[in-house]
Amino acid sequence: MTDTEEPVLTVDDVRHAFGDLTVLEDVSFSADRGSVVSLVGPNGSGKSTLLRIVAGLIEQTGGEVTVAASADRPVGYLPQTPAFRPQFSLAETLSFYGDLAGVDVDVDDRLRRVGLQNVPDRRVDALSGGMTRLLGIAQATVGDPPLLVLDEPSSGLDPVMVEHVSAVVDDLAGEGTTVLLATHNIDAVEQMADTVLVLDDGTIVAAESPTALRERTGADTLTGALADVIERDETASVSVGQRGGAE
Amino acid sequence: MSDGRLRQVRALAQRELDAVVRTRTYLVLVTLFGLAVASVPALGGAGGYLPLVLNLMTPVEVLVPVLAFAFGYQAIRADAERGELDVIRTYPVRRATYVLGVFLGRATAVLAAVLVPLALAATFVPLASQPAPSFLASAATVDDPIYYVRFVSITGVYAVVALGIAVAVSTVARTRREGLALAVSTLLVVVVGLDLAVVGGLTTGVVGPDGLGATLALSPASAFRGLVLAFAATPVAGASAPAPAALPSVVGLLGWLIGTLALATVTVWRT
Repeated sequence: MTDTEEPVLTVDDVRHAFGDLTVLEDVSFSADRGSVVSLVGPNGSGKSTLLRIVAGLIEQTGGEVTVAASADRPVGYLPQTPAFRPQFSLAETLSFYGDLAGVDVDVDDRLRRVGLQNVPDRRVDALSGGMTRLLGIAQATVGDPPLLVLDEPSSGLDPVMVEHVSAVVDDLAGEGTTVLLATHNIDAVEQMADTVLVLDDGTIVAAESPTALRERTGADTLTGALADVIERDETASVSVGQRGGAE
Repeated sequence: MSDGRLRQVRALAQRELDAVVRTRTYLVLVTLFGLAVASVPALGGAGGYLPLVLNLMTPVEVLVPVLAFAFGYQAIRADAERGELDVIRTYPVRRATYVLGVFLGRATAVLAAVLVPLALAATFVPLASQPAPSFLASAATVDDPIYYVRFVSITGVYAVVALGIAVAVSTVARTRREGLALAVSTLLVVVVGLDLAVVGGLTTGVVGPDGLGATLALSPASAFRGLVLAFAATPVAGASAPAPAALPSVVGLLGWLIGTLALATVTVWRT
């Protein structure tokens, strides 16, 4: 990346409320091409809402989200609970999404990437929850969107598959895809993320690399560091790192 | 329509058709509908094409919307409930493209489910060795297969219109239960409610005798009846109950089709 290259994703002063309930407030950050930004925080902190806003599924109450991409499909999305038409096989499902994206999908390649290459003809309703999530990741990459938004990509996966998903995300980032993901799996954050955004009560309370976060808080582990910044935020009610960056 | 849009419509329609074909519940419904249609000439006799049209008209008027609603009321709701609609929205798919694709796929399935049994029912006419003519048949001076062909064609249009209403219902309802309740109530309105409203309007003087034909055409079921009597039962049309004229019926059915698909397009998701 050159210095003049724009961030692929810019979230600027985003606010969102469901009626009287404010779920996001003054959220700003950016993500460069090929970076992995991991969104962590307690349940109900606004992670999924933020991801849905970035994916274009919810219009934010205020602020601006810019995806600097000229692709037909600028954002690939993995929902928190991915599900597909149960009557179809994995290969049929990916081909269908390829048609929507206007591309001919190399089904074998897509499935190999996520470790499902042995079951292309299996019906979706015969997949385990973890396998469905892997299919969801494969779907998210159809059309080669420059930005991937993954909501809990490693949820429900065994440790081996978590490693595998981390490797897939690394590969995608290495190819220049920007990845924004939400997760509760702190080990996965440590493995995958260039930048960790800590979201608490709708505001970003930390935005830095996992290593920097650990060093700043003096915690031995990333889990300890996250607990520390969230606790500090709750006691001081001060938000820090409002302007994070993946660069 | 661009090649890309055409490809999307084709993919969406094929997905709907395949989903219907691979779902046992739909196959059971199609079988039941086929048996119901076949029972009319089998049990009541098939004394000719015109009597068959008249004998099938009322059952078809009720059963076709029921079948179309069963095929369509969850079509889009199911994608939304599963969360797959959110995924589809991240692709460069327009709302109208999505609704059109879903509608065409389901319409293909509904048309096959409706038209094949009706076509098979027609085979009873030449096969019947001793036709049992009804009073309607005796009133008819001419019996011609063309009446039956027209009846089947009009039924196809009626089925497609009913499906359009069902697809619109599937975009409006927010939950499965709400979808079912809305589908049942809308179905009742379509099949009998609008006709009853017109009768009510007539008895209270809101609808005058001069405006009866046009008002009846606002009901899809009446419009279907009007077209059948105008084109598929011409020799006995005057002996039947009041029905809308052909042109208002066509306008009425087209209005329902375009209106409901437009509603579905607007409500399927927010831009």
